[in-house]
Amino acid sequence: MNRRQKLLLTGLTALLLITAQARPAEAQTRVSIGVTETMETYNPYGDSVSLLYGIWCQVMGCLGTYDFDKGDYVGMLAERWEVKDPNTWIFYLRKDIRWHDGSPFTADDVVHSFNRARNDPQSKQTQNIAPIASAAAVDKYTVRFTTKQPTAPLLEYLFDRLIITNKAVYEKYGAEADRKYPTGAGPYKFKELVPGQRFVIAKNPDYPGMKQLTQAPDEIIYRVMREDEQRVTALLNGEIQIAQFIPPHLRKRVESDPNTKATTVDSVEIMFLAMQPKPPFDKKEVRQAVCHAIDRDRIIATLLQGLAARLDGPIGPGQYGYDPNLKPKYDYSPDKARKLLAQAGYPNGVDVEIQTPVGRYTLDKQLNEAIAQMLNGAGFRAKLLTPEWATLWSNVQAGKTPFYYMGRGSIVDPSVALSQYFETGGSPRIGYSNPKFDKLLATERQTFEPAKRRKVLAEAMSLLTDDAPACFLWRHKMIYGMAKNIDYKPTPSGRIFGEDIRVLK
Amino acid sequence: MFGTLPVLLLITLLVFVLLHAAPGDPATMLLGQENTAADLAEAKRRWGLDQPVHVQYVKFVLSAATADLGRSFRFAAPVKEVIAERLPATIELAAFSILIAVVFAIPLGVAAGARPNSWVDNIGTSFGLFGISMPNFWLGIMLILLLAGNFHLVPSGGRSTYGIAGPSQTGFYFLDSVMQRNWAALKDAFLHVLMPALALGVNMIGILMRVTRSSVLETATEEYVVTARAKGLTERIVLWRHILSNALIPIITVVGLELGTLLSGSIIVETVFAWPGVGSLLITGVTSRDYPLVTGLVLMYTVAFVTINLIIDALYAFIDPRIRY
Amino acid sequence: MQPKFVVGASIVCVLTVVGVLSPWLAPYDPGKQTLEAALKAPQWFGGANFLGTDSLGRDILSRIIYGARVSLVVAFAVVLISGFVGVTLGAISGYFGGKIDFIIQKLVEVVWAFPALLLAITILAFLGQGLFNLILALVAQRWIQYCRVVRGQALSLRDRDFVMATRALGASNQRIIRRHILPNLIQISLVIGTFSMASAIISEASLSFLGLGVPPEIPTWGTMLADSRSYISTAWWLALFPGLCIFLTVLGINLLGDAIRDLLDPRLKRTVKG
Repeated sequence: MNRRQKLLLTGLTALLLITAQARPAEAQTRVSIGVTETMETYNPYGDSVSLLYGIWCQVMGCLGTYDFDKGDYVGMLAERWEVKDPNTWIFYLRKDIRWHDGSPFTADDVVHSFNRARNDPQSKQTQNIAPIASAAAVDKYTVRFTTKQPTAPLLEYLFDRLIITNKAVYEKYGAEADRKYPTGAGPYKFKELVPGQRFVIAKNPDYPGMKQLTQAPDEIIYRVMREDEQRVTALLNGEIQIAQFIPPHLRKRVESDPNTKATTVDSVEIMFLAMQPKPPFDKKEVRQAVCHAIDRDRIIATLLQGLAARLDGPIGPGQYGYDPNLKPKYDYSPDKARKLLAQAGYPNGVDVEIQTPVGRYTLDKQLNEAIAQMLNGAGFRAKLLTPEWATLWSNVQAGKTPFYYMGRGSIVDPSVALSQYFETGGSPRIGYSNPKFDKLLATERQTFEPAKRRKVLAEAMSLLTDDAPACFLWRHKMIYGMAKNIDYKPTPSGRIFGEDIRVLK
Repeated sequence: MFGTLPVLLLITLLVFVLLHAAPGDPATMLLGQENTAADLAEAKRRWGLDQPVHVQYVKFVLSAATADLGRSFRFAAPVKEVIAERLPATIELAAFSILIAVVFAIPLGVAAGARPNSWVDNIGTSFGLFGISMPNFWLGIMLILLLAGNFHLVPSGGRSTYGIAGPSQTGFYFLDSVMQRNWAALKDAFLHVLMPALALGVNMIGILMRVTRSSVLETATEEYVVTARAKGLTERIVLWRHILSNALIPIITVVGLELGTLLSGSIIVETVFAWPGVGSLLITGVTSRDYPLVTGLVLMYTVAFVTINLIIDALYAFIDPRIRY
Repeated sequence: MQPKFVVGASIVCVLTVVGVLSPWLAPYDPGKQTLEAALKAPQWFGGANFLGTDSLGRDILSRIIYGARVSLVVAFAVVLISGFVGVTLGAISGYFGGKIDFIIQKLVEVVWAFPALLLAITILAFLGQGLFNLILALVAQRWIQYCRVVRGQALSLRDRDFVMATRALGASNQRIIRRHILPNLIQISLVIGTFSMASAIISEASLSFLGLGVPPEIPTWGTMLADSRSYISTAWWLALFPGLCIFLTVLGINLLGDAIRDLLDPRLKRTVKG
């Protein structure tokens, strides 16, 4: 053929090739999430932060989780459960789950996981199974947990916390199994983990139901970005598609960008001021004076730009046992505070030292600077200290911090947290002791009937609020920044599950 | 040169004592907020933290003698591994800082020193002064604000964008991308290191410029230079061959001296830019009271320091044949 | 007079005056919070807050003025204390030699090889928050600069004729050190001192930035910078002004140090790094 024809042929072939390539192969959707908590080890039992529980639950598997939309616990690897007698819980497992290497998931794996959580030398999760005396496999798909004492809030311990790992792989490879052969049973597979930097997981199409979720991301990269400004900049640059925990003053920046949007959700973390019952806080009037001295509404309206909900009692709406009519409610009244101080024997005010961490909770330092000033306006002479977190936390644990600002997260069922902080002997963090309160707490733990239990819990919380070993301040509203093509409703617990994310075109 | 071994021992002792005296320990810091006193006690027993301090110290020294630096509590991995994983990042950062400093400061210093009191000299001297007076973390913040936030020229932090580079072979992203001929990865690594290296190197730019300038000034009046000029050699040859090679000695001295400051400065710069090197690792270690990790890091810093000084000494002998040990 | 000296001295003078007279110069109480007036941009041309307000509605200009106090106190205290300790130990070490010299020198080596920032961080973790603790932590690394140089000078002076003569006349060691050796060292200490002051200010800012500084009721430039971290994109003035102040102050001190060094002895350029 002549030159012209050759040229034409080449041109046509090229065109064909190009258009053939142009039909896209199924594009992999990848979602990067900027998170503030960090992942440090390959061992699923080696971390104990909220974010990691969520990721390991997706990759390895959890018995169940708390569904905030439904307002109840739902099963993941467990299908259903029952309480046979006050100390015996039976979990019936799903029969259609397979480990990523193909082997079936069985009750033996659950028992193995329990043992690892308890005995693994790296385990930082022993407190999650503290109330359980033993675990046994009744048959291939049934597990029995025996508790030391009747524990009505057992699901708060187990669900979203106990990570289920593969027994056979661990027995074959030992401690190296976590790093070299991570084998999970969850809706996402382990892909890569760089400690302190990122955790990458990939969709598992073999998990029941995952194939239908075509809009769920094929790959999720959790990237550690602790600096607020960096996280927001990365979101606006397109480096990440979801940014967790944006501080209130940066929300406008996210909303005003045409490619991003901001969503808020109530957190289940309660923020409070703890007071040890030593002078001057050994007198109830002084403690109540603190609660009256702080204008929470004003702080929420200004510093937090409205992005928090005031707490009147230890818990808020959506948490188990919440009573909107809980009494007493502390109104802002410096006059009442001064009167109470005078009643307690401090007519000329009292010196106190309040301590807060810095950078651990939203605007912690600024909030406490405002709180200190408000205390000063109500008859106190408050000095604010901002020790390094390690120093503060160790002193709190050792019971050496008389007056401090703190948060307690992951509270769905408050029983565990209340026991930890306020029951006699729970921990030295506050050192509060009230036999009436102890009795109420013990009762609710053994009451399995929901309506009755709620009533006892409410009574206990009312007593606590009145006696005020802590002033319950607020729950932050968590702000998530997202790219406009992401459809995701954040959970109050801060855990991010891939199945809940939709990547729109 | 001093007896390194007793110094190393003393240093580890100092770190050990200080860390243990500070409130807090790995168990307290690493167990979740839901733990009880019983869990804490059990963890302490398991990790050997309930033993008296001197016993723990002796154990550490004995194992360190066999090059085993123990296990990091936070990362649940051998300290050596944890450090080795993040060391290349810091070395890359430091190397780039020195590169930037050398590229900017030396020509500027030479130009300034060759024409004292000219406008070139004034600019150069001002530059030098600005460099040594600049708080490097503040420069870092301003850079992030301008270059990343406003102009979107560079990424906001970190070392690389996920998905561009292949798996790392050496830990040095520049080397890896060249070895794998992945030019997109090379560009990505370069964009990420630019701001941190600038922030880290700014002080060094100042010092290096000043030293180069004064060194050139002095050498310019030396006999052999005057002779060379008298012989009729062009100014340029005089400058580069005679002046510069003799000015190299103080320059190398300064680089060596400043390396210590560089290592120290990397701690804060890495924190500002979320750069995953040993500087930010150190902060992580101290705030979680990870004794083995921090002690291991201090040992590493000291050894690095001493080694660098030895290399500098050797370089002297190489450059100036008049100095021979 | 050299321009370097004039500019440098003026900046240092301004700093000192501002620091001493802060209660009279500051337009507002630096700790007064007005939550509703938070994060206001600088109002150059009339308006309540010349440099704007911070996240709690406090006036930035007033906080900067009071911040000068802390920088001043820290800088002078650190230099004086580390100078005193370093010069004394160096003189003793150089003059007496032998075992004393050996022990002190080993101590110097240990402190020298320790990364400076880390030493300060661990000391502060151990001591806790507080202005004095901060000063201590900064002194811990700085005294060795003086010690080394002074030791060198003491060694060389020790065997000079006039010292031997004085000793022969029966003067005590202490008198010799005080009367004859120390005065010769003032010059070099002065130069080291000025540069050391500059670095002390930057170190205080770094430590405050990392959260290890003084308690919040004392405003310092470093803590102001630390607080500005998550407001960089929304309230640039929070980060710009404190940083600028640190930069200018250090610049002034360095200029002054340069000028003093040039004045005192051109040969000193060799022994003291620029």
